Amino acid sequence: MRSNFLKAQTQLPERTFVREARRASGTEGLIGVSLLAVFVTAALFAPLLAPYDPAAFVGRPLERPGAAFLLGTNDVGQDILSELLFGARVSLVVAVGAAVGTVLLGLLVGGVAGYLGGWVDAALMRGVDVLLALPQLPLIILITTLTGAGLAQMTLTMALLFSPGMARIIRAQMFNQRGRAYVKIAQRFGASPLYIFRRHMLPHLAPLLIVGLVTAAGRAAAMEAGLAFLGLGDPSAKSWGLMMRYALNLPGLLLTDRWLWWLLPPGLCITLLILALTFTGMRLEKRLNPGGQSS
Amino acid sequence: MVGYLFGLWAALTLNFLLPRLLPGDPLAALLDPDSAGYVYDSAVRESLEAYYGLDAPPVEQYLHYLAGLFTGDLGQSIRLKQPVAAVLGDHLPWTLLLTLTALGLASVIGIWSGAEAAWRRGSPMDKALTAAGVVIGNIPVFFTGMILLIIFGATLNWFPLSGGRTAFARYASAFDAVRDYAEHLFLPALTLTLALLSSKFLLVRGSMIGVLSEDFILVARAKGLPAGRIKHHHALRNALLPFVHHLAAHAGFALTGALFIEALFDYPGMGRLIFESVAARDYPVIQGAFVVVSVFVLSANRLADWLTMRLDPRIREG
Repeated sequence: MRSNFLKAQTQLPERTFVREARRASGTEGLIGVSLLAVFVTAALFAPLLAPYDPAAFVGRPLERPGAAFLLGTNDVGQDILSELLFGARVSLVVAVGAAVGTVLLGLLVGGVAGYLGGWVDAALMRGVDVLLALPQLPLIILITTLTGAGLAQMTLTMALLFSPGMARIIRAQMFNQRGRAYVKIAQRFGASPLYIFRRHMLPHLAPLLIVGLVTAAGRAAAMEAGLAFLGLGDPSAKSWGLMMRYALNLPGLLLTDRWLWWLLPPGLCITLLILALTFTGMRLEKRLNPGGQSS
Repeated sequence: MVGYLFGLWAALTLNFLLPRLLPGDPLAALLDPDSAGYVYDSAVRESLEAYYGLDAPPVEQYLHYLAGLFTGDLGQSIRLKQPVAAVLGDHLPWTLLLTLTALGLASVIGIWSGAEAAWRRGSPMDKALTAAGVVIGNIPVFFTGMILLIIFGATLNWFPLSGGRTAFARYASAFDAVRDYAEHLFLPALTLTLALLSSKFLLVRGSMIGVLSEDFILVARAKGLPAGRIKHHHALRNALLPFVHHLAAHAGFALTGALFIEALFDYPGMGRLIFESVAARDYPVIQGAFVVVSVFVLSANRLADWLTMRLDPRIREG
């Protein structure tokens, strides 16, 4: 106990903390990017990698894993491995779509508020605060139940609900840059707002946007899986969450060992995808250091 | 306070507007004999017509809706043929039991482990706990729950697989009743605790590290105070200030986490209610659930701000 005291005092706390964080994030980043590469490969080459058409009834129902079906078949005789590979597409499409939508909407609202300031800013930020305060999951459930569970509207809803956080971050950075001398000088020289935004603001926003993109993708992947798990998945695009839902709908699933190849693989896939996106995001955040504080 | 009321009004208004403005006319489908969603029970259909009042002008509908809210009128469940307020009242206590149990457990464990990890910063224990915290905090709750359910429910048979209590059970004593409830609560509460734990641990650890580097800790050490006294009396007390805010603000997150867990464990709270209502397209119930959860989350956030203001003189006076 006493020796810990002395050690803590002889080291420079801030320096070691930064070094600690940097070392840890290097490993995290590597794990995250490698996992992400695996999932992207699976999604891109799913038709080549999958042994069967995931929608076709190729075997008897509930077959155990064997030479013909590496992960067995589900209750209607579809190949689980093929479903798993094609499921990567659904998760990644929703993740990328929602992330791009979040960043674009955030950029629009945060950019306008941050550039114009005044009452426009006040009004927009009020709306942002309200949307941030509302519980997202019940709101998404309500909207998805009303519109029907289509992949497109689900992605759009997520973008709409994730973007306020993004808008607030972008607005703060815009305010930070707006007062700088070089922006004022450019304005005096008659540069248009769009030019200043493109030429001067965007480079400062880029690290924020990249980190925001990855973070939103992780949240969207988790949300899609969660909604599918609650029975709000798009039945025409079978995701990992929906596979889990269908597996759990089979009475007595947990009483046999079927969960081992039907329930566990999709659960593991979605968990690893979320972890991969989180780790990549954490690495990027430390590497790019958005917000501009010196480390 | 103004922000809180504004948020509340926005939630209630959104709840009114969404079903009326979203494409696909979900409400009209309930009353249209040609649609798949047509409600055949004429008594339920009439109560729906009365509640939504789609024939009236929009402003009148809105005022009618707000007036109904104040008297607790949230419409009629299509599936259960009961008032929505009564249905929600049946399910809410279960969710609160689950959420509060998990919040309490996660707070105790998170404070203790966070303080210890910060005290021994850089030690193998600290590194292991921090890494575990980051990983566990990002695993979806339904996956953690599934693993626990498979291990402790299905394989080891230590805990019941589903439900909130044994069906049709008649308890010999109060002790038996408590035991039955606790056995059913254990796995869902453990799942939610794990999901809430990591952010609490990381917060207390970070906050404690900050406090430990301050001058008054150095003074306490120079005075030769015992380590335990410095750790708990000087450091932890100050490190807990941000935790109080976090705890209240995190209540909303806990509540939504509980929704997934209930759907998995068939626990009879709001989550299972939402799950079953989604399948039946029971819009009034889902709307009611949204209102109730919104009120809880907004109130928890308001409470968080108020507590911080009360506890921290720097904010109160500043």
